[in-house]
Amino acid sequence: MGTALVGPALVFVLAINVMPAFYGFYLSLRRVFFFGDEGFVGLQNYTALLSDPLAWEAIGRSLVFSFGALAVAVPLALLSAMGIRRLGRWGMVLLTVVLVPWAMSPIVVALLWKWILVPSPGGLMGSLFSALGYPPRDLLTDPVLAMPTLIAIAVWRNFAFATIILAGGLGQIPNDLYRAASVDGLHAWESFRRITLPLLMPSLLIVVSMLTISYFNEVQVIIGLTAGGPIRSTTTLAYQLYHTGFVELDQGRGNAIAIVMFLINMLLIAIYIRILGRQPGGAT
Amino acid sequence: MRRLNAPVLVIGCLLGAVVALGPILWALSTSLKPTSRIFAVPPELIPSEPVPDHYYRLIAEGVHWAFLNSGGYAMAAVALSLIFGVIAGYGLSRYPVPGRQLILVLFVGAMAVPGFAVLLPTQIMFVELGLYNSWAALPILYAGHVLPFAVWVTRAHFNAIPRELEQAAQIDGYSRAEAVWKVVLPGARPALLAAATFGFLHSWNDYVTATTMIDSPDKRTLTVALIFFQGFHGRDWGALMAGVIVATIPPVVMFLLFRKYLIGGFSDGSVKG
Repeated sequence: MGTALVGPALVFVLAINVMPAFYGFYLSLRRVFFFGDEGFVGLQNYTALLSDPLAWEAIGRSLVFSFGALAVAVPLALLSAMGIRRLGRWGMVLLTVVLVPWAMSPIVVALLWKWILVPSPGGLMGSLFSALGYPPRDLLTDPVLAMPTLIAIAVWRNFAFATIILAGGLGQIPNDLYRAASVDGLHAWESFRRITLPLLMPSLLIVVSMLTISYFNEVQVIIGLTAGGPIRSTTTLAYQLYHTGFVELDQGRGNAIAIVMFLINMLLIAIYIRILGRQPGGAT
Repeated sequence: MRRLNAPVLVIGCLLGAVVALGPILWALSTSLKPTSRIFAVPPELIPSEPVPDHYYRLIAEGVHWAFLNSGGYAMAAVALSLIFGVIAGYGLSRYPVPGRQLILVLFVGAMAVPGFAVLLPTQIMFVELGLYNSWAALPILYAGHVLPFAVWVTRAHFNAIPRELEQAAQIDGYSRAEAVWKVVLPGARPALLAAATFGFLHSWNDYVTATTMIDSPDKRTLTVALIFFQGFHGRDWGALMAGVIVATIPPVVMFLLFRKYLIGGFSDGSVKG
């Protein structure tokens, strides 16, 4: 009976989420171009990919993008979560407000920011530049500034999501511990380091692994804002996959990239499941 | 941590709210300005003479059909994932299932793998199956993406509902299915709302799946229609921001209405950020 109830959902999930991974592996061993299968080529797509310096640069940019965004989002979320806990009821109102960008579509976020960043004295960013005494510049066509700009927008989009989970984690820490700490004469920083941080570690690890997966696979914001440019400066591995597979329609090679990405995701997820598995019980 | 002072906290909060909402309010303001005032220097934060022209422009371009498509796809995906998810969640909660641990790990794994990672083989598979560019393509895919979460969150809630409630209903003469319908499902309302809200947001907000699975203009989602509109009228910022506002209202309203359940669902299961 149990199997009959779980079966349909299991088949659905296997067909949509698991089978394509195997099919992608099969396709990655063939030369496929514009939906035409031109036969088996062995590991040629992989060797071509791994010997292509552009692919390694894309992997490097994925790391810069993911860890850059993490380095901003996690401390910011931790700070906001601590502030929000202190605000009580108003904290929840504020949290709801800052979560609105997370509820938006990433491609709509991209359109919105494209307008914000328009380099004209009538644009929002342009007028900020003017107010500070600089001529408006186009951050999205600057090969050095485009990546940090995308990182900032990715953080804007979902750091509040990390804040919720951290605020939940903070709520689990008994207040008595802080009272005991202040009786013992611990400074704010000391009690943060010795109580908050260790007890919050499980939530922090969850946040870090979820955000890593999310940033590593971020493609829609890049499609909408820079399309990988200027001069490839925002071409991450995820965008490279989009471009090779869906724009150039080099589907054999695209699937080789997809498999590489899938394996990296599996690694991240394995770490994530291990962390999740250790979750009940809290501070282990 | 106790000694963070109040002024710093208040300034931080205001700053957070302005940074989060400022860009969206600026888009709203732009969408209501006559085209001649959009690039005014200094910028008008609040339109001096608000006009609805840009919204009419979207309708003239047929964007409202894409809006309806997005709504239809999202609702179909939510219905599919809830039906399959509730049944499986109930099965996992109440019956012995062989390989149960493995199945749970599979669902958590599938929940975490972003659909984009396997989108390319999925596209080729859908072309071969004849599902590419069909009305069914997007509801099936979105439901597949949301289903693991639906199973996870409903199972957690079913576990928390005592079996005695169902048994009492059965003693009163209800069949097991009736007992589930009348007792268990209402009890698991928060889980159903969490899954439905998450499913709606996921489906409505998607762009990359829709743009790679749908070709015909009449089947486009709102996000795809807006990007096409941008391709043709890239400098028509008034109409584009009207599109941004129209695309943002449904998910944000859903989120505000059901945030309690959604945020509760995050602590029961876990969702991709």
